[in-house]
Amino acid sequence: MLRITGGKVYDPANDVNGEVRDVCISDGRIVDEVAGADVRTIDAAGMVVFPGGVDVHTHVAGGAINFARAMTPENHRDAAKFIHSPELRAGVGGATPSTFATGYLYAGLGYTTVNEAAVPVLSARHTHEELRDTPLVDKSCCVLMANNELLLDLLEEGETERARHLLAWHLWAAKGYGVKAVNPGGVTAWKWGKNAKILSEPVPGYSKVTPAKIISSLAAMVDELKLPHPLHLHCNNLGAPGNIDTTIETMKVLDGHRAHMAHLQFHSYGGDDWDTLRSESVRLAEFFNEQPNLTADAGAILFGDSVTITADGPWQHLLYQLTGRKWGNLDVENETGCGVVPYTYKGTNMVNAVQWAVGLELLLLIDDPWRIYLTTDHPNGACFWRYPEIIHLLMNADFRRECIDKLPEKALKRIYLPGIDREYTLSEIAIIISAGPARALGMPQKGHLGVGADADVALYNDDPDRERMFGHPRYLLKGGEVVVEEGDIRKMVDGREYIVRPSFDKNIEEYLRPLFEQYYTMSFDNYPVEMERLEGADIRECG
Amino acid sequence: MAAQLGGKVTCTLGEVKNRADFIIYWGGNPADCHPLHFSRYTLTPKGKHVPEGRKGRTMVLVDVRETPSAKHADILLQVKPGKDFEVVTTLRALVKNQPVDAARVAETGLTLEQLQDLVDRMKNARFGVLFFGMGLSMTRGKHMNSAAVLALVAELNAYTKFVSMPMRGHGNVTGADVVMRWTTGFPFGVNLSRGYPRFNPGEFSTIDVLVRGDNDATLVLGADPGATMPQPAIDHLSRTPTIVLDPKVTHTSRLARIHITTATTGISAPGTVYRMDEIPLPLKPILESPYPTDEEVIHRILEKVKEKPAWTPASFKEVPCA
Repeated sequence: MLRITGGKVYDPANDVNGEVRDVCISDGRIVDEVAGADVRTIDAAGMVVFPGGVDVHTHVAGGAINFARAMTPENHRDAAKFIHSPELRAGVGGATPSTFATGYLYAGLGYTTVNEAAVPVLSARHTHEELRDTPLVDKSCCVLMANNELLLDLLEEGETERARHLLAWHLWAAKGYGVKAVNPGGVTAWKWGKNAKILSEPVPGYSKVTPAKIISSLAAMVDELKLPHPLHLHCNNLGAPGNIDTTIETMKVLDGHRAHMAHLQFHSYGGDDWDTLRSESVRLAEFFNEQPNLTADAGAILFGDSVTITADGPWQHLLYQLTGRKWGNLDVENETGCGVVPYTYKGTNMVNAVQWAVGLELLLLIDDPWRIYLTTDHPNGACFWRYPEIIHLLMNADFRRECIDKLPEKALKRIYLPGIDREYTLSEIAIIISAGPARALGMPQKGHLGVGADADVALYNDDPDRERMFGHPRYLLKGGEVVVEEGDIRKMVDGREYIVRPSFDKNIEEYLRPLFEQYYTMSFDNYPVEMERLEGADIRECG
Repeated sequence: MAAQLGGKVTCTLGEVKNRADFIIYWGGNPADCHPLHFSRYTLTPKGKHVPEGRKGRTMVLVDVRETPSAKHADILLQVKPGKDFEVVTTLRALVKNQPVDAARVAETGLTLEQLQDLVDRMKNARFGVLFFGMGLSMTRGKHMNSAAVLALVAELNAYTKFVSMPMRGHGNVTGADVVMRWTTGFPFGVNLSRGYPRFNPGEFSTIDVLVRGDNDATLVLGADPGATMPQPAIDHLSRTPTIVLDPKVTHTSRLARIHITTATTGISAPGTVYRMDEIPLPLKPILESPYPTDEEVIHRILEKVKEKPAWTPASFKEVPCA
């Protein structure tokens, strides 16, 4: 049992805004009161108390990031090193940290829950093996379905009902938590070297299936299945100049269904080509503000070296042609693809400068912090361990102006950031890094400090240098265990894995089995991930 | 290692089955070494978009001699030994319509016409795939050959869909590579002696460490270096304590101080094998074994190791130099 006393508590989900009050913990949960001789007290005077951070969109485990690790050992050579000790495993940090290091780095930010945003069902077993080796954080993952050809074939034939059973079956087979759509139709088209750029045009290889149809059908199915997390959507035309129209069109196509718009920064550009690229964050934010069915994460970028990893194969081919750097591509049979290209965002580059501004603009212009969350689409826009730099930029308009002054002249005419004075409060930061994403993920036990919540609590020094403050919690509690103490990781605990079991008609297996024999190279019985491969699984029934 | 130089454009084997109409095997003999490759993935299956099966596909074999795989090929291109890099480089030039000296092409054992024909076929393929084996990656030029092939395939994507894949074998070598990457950040050749992972192929790869005699002891798991490694490495294995975990007696187990017989993975021990395209397949045991699994043995060794005082930089005692 534990009592945190004297700290300023920020718990926006329970309307607690910087009050000095006690937080009591027993059996891994927040409780009203603790008493007795064995209660440990942490004196949090001078500290702020936050619910543990929740990352709604990150790429930390599985085939894609592991492909990136293979391709870019040079990133690890310069990266932070983790020396093994009786408690800690050895590892490396950098853009694609090893799994144990990933856990340590998240804990080192005060984060306690992460959502791996892109998992092919075919290699979900691999993702779970890596998640099992990612300590200190609770985990969930989203399963890639928007280019699953068995599903698209059913949509082509108008068999929506069966498609929903198929979706639910796959989600359970992968032991996933949510449904992810990446460049709907475009990745399938990429299997023939093509893309799907126009929402209303049939996807190559189909006559009735359009990206719009895939998006609306998936969003509807996710709602019908009553999944805790809405459709997790990576729109078509990521990164392309002028893609704002596609993004707004996508939001219209959703027609009131819930959706989480991933890394919105990469989807809010105007202009016709790279020379005319400009920010369309105002237009996007104004439209988004009127859509209560939607949430989003920023996908902000920071200048520096990164590795881009996405299931969006055609975009990665373009990026390879643009940069002339290494290109990795991995198409996954019948389901999805994956591309890896190392990338350096340069402050002197006009396009990169606009991207940098757009990420911050969206965070500042979308008026409801409960619907926009802090991410960098790790490692695409920047590594997750650089979040404190973004928090600093959001909380300090003067610092922001200093950074804007360093941007190339050409970029300034194309962005809105210089005219924005808003500064985030600590309470709003608590929303965008914890309370909001927990709510979007549908995890009622996360992101707050009310009675019954998981005792995931981060204690930061109330330091005027917000970057230093959020880059190093004094204490971190994970499930009631003190894992970070006086800034050091002192204790190792394994996280749980959250999965959903949506209801589906068992007969779907009889439909799937012969298709598997024909189209897959893995036997049908080997395809679903076995329960025993997951450590500490927490199953949510739905539908 | 080649993928570290320029990346890798690849896919899972089901993509090949469902789509590939043009297949190249380079420096490999799947008929003997990967006997199910043709029938399960590449040539004979009727794929979703290749319903005619073998008739819908063209297969080119590039090798230094006519192997048993040749009779499955539509076209055989016989390269002079050690000239693979030159051939790949010529192909890259032809793909980009650069002029090529026919006389120098002839040194490779192939003619310019043959290579131009190959390039035309590659560009006209709907979905092409190039599998390369150790005849390319382990002969003169080594990983630079592989890197050249990977670059060729990447560049072909400006014209059509093309992918490549190394023909990996030797049990679960891909699995070892995959796990090393997520635990240490590097695929192989990792040194943990400073307490954190360092990667330097040529310095920390197994053969180099053994040949230099850097290590005091060796634990061999699922491999038989005594059969494949150079003699100085084998000598070091027999000179120092070597522990082998293996279901069978092997060359290495004969020279080892300790051989622990373990259950055969996949027959009487469960586990995961990563296929050459990095797709994990579960192994479900069908027989019981009186022997412990590799995993059990390693865990028991680890328990004992944990009883010893931990090695940390702080506990490290400086050894005075002579």
